[in-house]
Amino acid sequence: MATKTHENPELDMTPMIDVVFELIIFFVVTLKMATDKDETVRLEDGKHGVILTPEELPPSHITIDIAKNGRISMSNVTMGKDEIKRKIKQRVDKWGSDFPVLIRADWRCKHKAVSEVMNACTDGGVWKISFVAVQDRKSGQSKYD
Amino acid sequence: MKSNRKEQEQPKLDMTPMIDVVFELMIFFVVTLKQDDIFSRLNANRPAPNKDTPTQAPSDQIKIDIGPGGFVLNGRGMSKKDLRTNLKSLSQTSKNATVVISCTFDSPHQFLIEALDICHEFRMENLSIFSM
Repeated sequence: MATKTHENPELDMTPMIDVVFELIIFFVVTLKMATDKDETVRLEDGKHGVILTPEELPPSHITIDIAKNGRISMSNVTMGKDEIKRKIKQRVDKWGSDFPVLIRADWRCKHKAVSEVMNACTDGGVWKISFVAVQDRKSGQSKYD
Repeated sequence: MKSNRKEQEQPKLDMTPMIDVVFELMIFFVVTLKQDDIFSRLNANRPAPNKDTPTQAPSDQIKIDIGPGGFVLNGRGMSKKDLRTNLKSLSQTSKNATVVISCTFDSPHQFLIEALDICHEFRMENLSIFSM
């Protein structure tokens, strides 16, 4: 009992540091999710495609998102077909035409939007295109969510 | 005085930091163990708008048309299941056939992915996508 009164004036920093670490982990996890890609895009199943490992993609790769309503975006920034064409051209000048072009298109979007993106790619100088599909729904999220 | 107090406290094990750490680890694993989907790549070619494919003989070409209603293979309308059965037999007879997929602008992207997936299943890798 006597020890308690002795200890009181010292401020114990441990719980505060614990809480700060927890907050850091929380923000690291959530901020990464917010900026990466268009989260509204729902992909169709494609069980037989080549498995896509994001870590193995070269830095030259480009991912184009197409939302359900036809919105075209890159890294969650809305873009027109001319901007896509310009971005592709820049990469062709730098790396040649053999870099991966990935199209993440919502399964409900109309082919018109996909066609516009593909035309932008060919105008920019790339003919090989890959579509992203879901090989295995590990997260449990269905395409209807 | 301080050392005296420390000696008195030592036999009591303070569990608070340990519980804190265990909770933190639990939260960390709950957050990170949430598995991500595994994605796949369906590769295809987009020929330039006004270039034909002159190197391929027409006999070695499989034509899939995709409209808002579904699939048409070499002129015959069919379901996804029928398309799969037909492409399976076609892939055995003509291994290196070029598959030409023509999509109408109002067809849903779903059908294109389904057709590409079936082609990848039977190792047909010469895929060209046209739009009309």
